Amino acid sequence: MTLADPDNFGLQCQGVSHWFGENKVLFDLNLEVQAGQFVGLVGPSGCGKSTLLRAILGTHPPLKGRILTMQNGRLANADRPGRDRGIVYQKYSLYPFLTALDNVALGLKLDQTTTAFRWLNWTGWAKKRREFRDRAGAFLEKVGLGQAMHLYPSQMSGGMQQRVAIAQALIMEPEIILLDEPFGALDEATREELQEMLLRLYEENAEVKAAGGKPPYTLIIVTHELNEAIRVGDRLVGLSQYWDWKADGHERSPGATVVYDKAVPVFRPDERPEYALFDDIRREIRKYVYNPEVLQQRDKHINVGPTR
Amino acid sequence: MIGRPITRAKAVLLSVLSVLLLLAGYTWMSHRQHQVNPNDTTIPSWSQLAEGVKKFTQPDRKGERWVVEDSLATGERLAMGLALGIVFGFLIGMLMGCIAPVEAFLQPPISLLAKVPQTAALAVYFVFFGTGMEMYVAMISFGIIPALAVTVYLAVKEIPAEMLDKAYTLGASAFEVATEVVFKQVLPKFIDAVRLSIGPAIVFLIAAEMVVGDVGFGYRIRLQFKLSNMNVVYPYLALLAGFGFLLDYGFRMLQFKLCPWYQSHTK
Ligand SMILES: Nc1ncnc2c1ncn2[C@@H]1O[C@H](COP(=O)(O)OP(=O)(O)O)[C@@H](O)[C@H]1O
Ligand SMILES: [Mg+2]
Repeated sequence: MTLADPDNFGLQCQGVSHWFGENKVLFDLNLEVQAGQFVGLVGPSGCGKSTLLRAILGTHPPLKGRILTMQNGRLANADRPGRDRGIVYQKYSLYPFLTALDNVALGLKLDQTTTAFRWLNWTGWAKKRREFRDRAGAFLEKVGLGQAMHLYPSQMSGGMQQRVAIAQALIMEPEIILLDEPFGALDEATREELQEMLLRLYEENAEVKAAGGKPPYTLIIVTHELNEAIRVGDRLVGLSQYWDWKADGHERSPGATVVYDKAVPVFRPDERPEYALFDDIRREIRKYVYNPEVLQQRDKHINVGPTR
Repeated sequence: MIGRPITRAKAVLLSVLSVLLLLAGYTWMSHRQHQVNPNDTTIPSWSQLAEGVKKFTQPDRKGERWVVEDSLATGERLAMGLALGIVFGFLIGMLMGCIAPVEAFLQPPISLLAKVPQTAALAVYFVFFGTGMEMYVAMISFGIIPALAVTVYLAVKEIPAEMLDKAYTLGASAFEVATEVVFKQVLPKFIDAVRLSIGPAIVFLIAAEMVVGDVGFGYRIRLQFKLSNMNVVYPYLALLAGFGFLLDYGFRMLQFKLCPWYQSHTK
């Protein structure tokens, strides 16, 4: 299967570079993601992971290069945000003035009705709103938040908030969902529960794929916990400014790029991985991605192309 | 212990006690004053006060009840001034917060105007707007617009970029981001700012009424003070306080109704 097959296409970054004045952040970044893949994205703090996600999201397109995603069933440039790419932040994903239910229903409302419709056609809007709320409610039930529907974010625990935030993004059925350190503020036990929630989506993918359909969930999760990236992802991508750019003819660092890209084991949601077994993966990552002293050719540790 | 709560019963008891003490203190001061000078009007006795109240609640020679005509005049001026100031203060703040060129254009004059003492600028309003309704409305609204606009503008700027970006990913247009996210996020802080602006608005209004009014609370208080009728002045002050309190309470209820999330949010 190749990326050219629309049923397999998740994301393609072609030669993406980005900088803020003198601060070179991303350099010639190439990344292809197949539909259904769960990518764990790691890298030193400040290397540009959030910048990359914002570029894919389309709120801050890259200064150079192209990012292609599926939009309304067609391949298109991701130069503006849309409902086909969802995001979950560590904070501020939920609107404090909306209940869990209305936070989840918000996307349906914004995407499927216009301001003019809501302001002028009151009865039509009331009917639509009931329908959206019903759908959002059913969705929340599904992710185990039936009890919390009418709570405001400030009344929910951090774990519940992130669960609602994931539901808020998922109900739009995005082609790809981006998570930027989503569980960074949670305690270990809650983290694991939420990882399980993501792994259940991966399982759903497998079922759909087995039945010959296009897997519904494609995901990139940025995290600073290597174990989390290994557990949730089926693929581990390292972004780093520490690579041998001198050999490529640069006088000073041109920015971070993909320096590590390998498949990692897949886990069932109820499976507690034996993290000790991944010592070698972690050691590799620490050495080639995180260590400023170790500068290797940038394609030396790239073992998965999606088009392999 | 600092901030340790007390029981509801104790709190009520203490409030009642403070009011009783205030009344008792007044009675005592007035009593002492009248022992020195039985005809004193600066600290009227309770019976003198009752006379004063009768004076402004009964029809005068022209058949007008002062308290009614004063309340109507002052209330109308205040309501129109506040309404105009609220609408424009909010709009200007939103536009400044959401649109960069507007921000650059309006920030200097707004921050400068916010520093001009309105009571000192009274003369300017008399010159430009005369001494009628327009003058009161202009003075009150211009007086509160800078503070309201700055509050809204800062509140908009405080919204994390993630919240706005998120809305775009959910399919919002720029207009919808303004109405569905920015507006709702800013609303409770705006209502707080309106509550705070009621005090200054009343100060501007009363000051202007004292100078050029021919009816209204400021006019009546100045006139009755000149006639040494403190038995009218004091009740009028109490009425003004009650008026301000009710208005403030109304806005607090409005905030509670419109932004139920805000209470649990700040707790
Ligand atoms: N809006 C911005 N303006 C200027 N510099 C920025 C901006 N956003 C990010 N940066 C810079 O870009 C670099 C990468 O930031 P970021 O993508 O947030 O890193 P990460 O998410 O990997 O920790 C940092 O050096 C940061 O200071
Ligand atoms: Mg980041």
